[in-house]
Amino acid sequence: MLAAEQSKEDTGRVVYSGPANAAVEFLKKEFVGDVLAEQANCDRIPTLWFDRAKVKAVLNCLRENSFAGSRFEMLFDLTAIDERARVHRDGQPSSEFTVMYHLMSFSGNCDMRIKVPLFDADLVLPTVSDLWSNANWYEREVWDMFGIRFDGHPNLYRLVLPPTWEGHALRKEHPARATEMEPFSLNDVQTDAEQEALKFKPEEWGMQKKSEDSEFMFLNLGPNHPSVHGAFRIAVQLDGEILVDAVPDIGYHHRGAEKMGERQSWHTFIPYTDRIDYLGGVMNNLPYVMAVEKMAGIQVPERVKVIRVMLSEMFRICSHLLFYGTFAQDVGQLSPIFYMFVERERIFNIIESICGARMHPGWFRIGGVAQDLPAGWEKRIRELLDFMPARLDEYDSMVLNNGILKRRTQGIGSYTTEEAFDWGITGAGLRATGYEWDYRKQRPYSGYENFEFDIPIAENGDCYDRCAVRVEEMRQSLRIIKQCVDNMPAGDYKSSHPLTTPPRKEKSMKDIETLINHFLSVSWGPVIPPTEVSMAIEATKGINGYYLVSDGNTTSYRTRIRTPSFAHLQMIPAISRGFMVSDLIAIIASIDFVMADVDR
Amino acid sequence: MKWSLESAEKSSAPQRGGNDADEFIRNNVMMVTLEDMVAWGRKNSIWPFNFGLSCCYVEMATAFTSRHDLARFGAEVIRGTPRQADMIVIAGTVFRKMAPVVKQLYDQLLEPKWVISMGSCANSGGMYDIYSVVQGVDKFLPVDVYVSGCPPRPEALLQGLLLLQEQIGKQRRPLSWVINEQGIIQREKDEVQRVVRGPERIAATELRSPDEI
Repeated sequence: MLAAEQSKEDTGRVVYSGPANAAVEFLKKEFVGDVLAEQANCDRIPTLWFDRAKVKAVLNCLRENSFAGSRFEMLFDLTAIDERARVHRDGQPSSEFTVMYHLMSFSGNCDMRIKVPLFDADLVLPTVSDLWSNANWYEREVWDMFGIRFDGHPNLYRLVLPPTWEGHALRKEHPARATEMEPFSLNDVQTDAEQEALKFKPEEWGMQKKSEDSEFMFLNLGPNHPSVHGAFRIAVQLDGEILVDAVPDIGYHHRGAEKMGERQSWHTFIPYTDRIDYLGGVMNNLPYVMAVEKMAGIQVPERVKVIRVMLSEMFRICSHLLFYGTFAQDVGQLSPIFYMFVERERIFNIIESICGARMHPGWFRIGGVAQDLPAGWEKRIRELLDFMPARLDEYDSMVLNNGILKRRTQGIGSYTTEEAFDWGITGAGLRATGYEWDYRKQRPYSGYENFEFDIPIAENGDCYDRCAVRVEEMRQSLRIIKQCVDNMPAGDYKSSHPLTTPPRKEKSMKDIETLINHFLSVSWGPVIPPTEVSMAIEATKGINGYYLVSDGNTTSYRTRIRTPSFAHLQMIPAISRGFMVSDLIAIIASIDFVMADVDR
Repeated sequence: MKWSLESAEKSSAPQRGGNDADEFIRNNVMMVTLEDMVAWGRKNSIWPFNFGLSCCYVEMATAFTSRHDLARFGAEVIRGTPRQADMIVIAGTVFRKMAPVVKQLYDQLLEPKWVISMGSCANSGGMYDIYSVVQGVDKFLPVDVYVSGCPPRPEALLQGLLLLQEQIGKQRRPLSWVINEQGIIQREKDEVQRVVRGPERIAATELRSPDEI
């Protein structure tokens, strides 16, 4: 992808692809002497370091201006790194903590990283929540996890961990294991205290208790409510039945996956990725293993690519079916989900016969997949391909063409493409606004450039359109799966690169070098060279990205997981103001999120 | 296989004797103790609370759908409020932030109440030995049945439910309301599944190869 478009000039200076290069040139001219460093990474995304006094101006400049005809529309990710234990930092300014802004240009199809060095004694920098709406939660998360404060942030409260928590979990001195900490206990007094701390206080959010002519009601929805799809809570301010404002509260599903990445070896972290978007199954493995492969310099065989695509698309259908059913259920149609689970069972049957598990196979490996396809694998898939299109048509008449469903969802919770960029919305939520952008098409990975498929889009960006786009995506996924079955290349299911994990066994009993490599790689796990990498895919719910920092060790130094649902949930208040409570349920259903994908 | 057919009248199975009145009584009257009757009723009408935490809930929901059809065992009436339910399936990871909420919901369930811990996370924390996860829901709730798996298959949940039902059917509880100690009497010691099926599993010599479907 980007690496291919890039070359080194005679001067030895790195040239990036089109707009990114223009932006780097522009920043260097505009902020002469302020660029602390230009960091080179294996993913070749331009990474510039600025002092915190300048960073806001830099980000604003990137947001406002267009470079070679395209803008950086989205704050894709904002996170931090605790650098205090890191060894390999060649060419980087010294810092104890680093805040990283990852900007993404959709029109120019390129990325940009801005980094800011900070020191433990003074962990403050200016907020950018006034530049991008989605920065709000990202900054709260950084405060919660690292203790870095953002000056001027409107509500810098803990986002993920409970308000009673002590310490900041992603700092290196914070314990990782529960078994390293005090044993957990919960008596009635503690329960009451914790519940009291979780209580929603409208004053904290600057909410008025009454207007001139009416008194508001505050309704607490969740964290256990059938319509919030998991452990998610949203406090709503109501004027009668009209929703005045809402405050989503997350963190009830925080499994510490990022901290886990610093403890598990590169290989043994794979099963944890399965459980990030737990409806996406092996598709979650893909950005992670591709990121590690990029750092290790592994090229995977064609057969591996096609197997990966095929299984990922099956999980896309599975996830979309569950969305489709629960969406219909939430707006009052109880039966479709029972039909759709029949299809899910069919697909799980296939998944199970190939991978040996249903929801979380954890089946991709660094440099390949766990096993070759079993004999006779294509039979059930062909049955599915014959069976499913007619069922999808039936569901159209059952759900999408249903008059009540249309009236409940059309014109509800709509937003424009610009708003979508501002809130970091990706995936079907972005395409429903009429913007045709799909990671699989724009930046093909794992051989997607070899497949024929269309990118479904819609016009209005409302609840109905978000559903319609996903329904059409299922048909496109079936198309892709058919091409996989028809054209499955022969060859290895694992690369012969020495960092492939687990490494190939055949030669290990024949020469000592291979035996040593096999032994080390199986006992310690692979050692990945020190570098940084970002890798993202079009996941079931939007763009799912991994940002990995390797310090030349058997584990990751920092694992950052950028999930689509996190950004999507943050937008709920903005798109549901002025609607009724029942519309809020339709909006929540149309977003298609799982809480594990939000809180990780 | 050899088989043959014969008409029903010629069946050699032993026939019941007696007159119509005996027959009527046999078909319509059952002699049991009241406690057994109540236990039988309880066992076959468990109302689960609609509660899910994470991935396991998806498999739990799958158990309600047509292929697995939990309704066969009389436990399909999922309730949206704990005050109408008598069983909670802890389906998923129990988070530190969520634990007080789970505790409160459990306290609101009607007595007699039961807890199924579904999946490795709820059983022991599973693969998540991490700061934000409680290492097993039994740290603060009494658990009746543990279902293993990550996530357990729907069939595993069904088996867990059947085990719970068996246990409830064998229990004797006071018939009226009781405060504090519930006075539950276990009539038979529960057989541990591993002991029951262990020899059968160990005896298996031919396992299916993963290389073919």
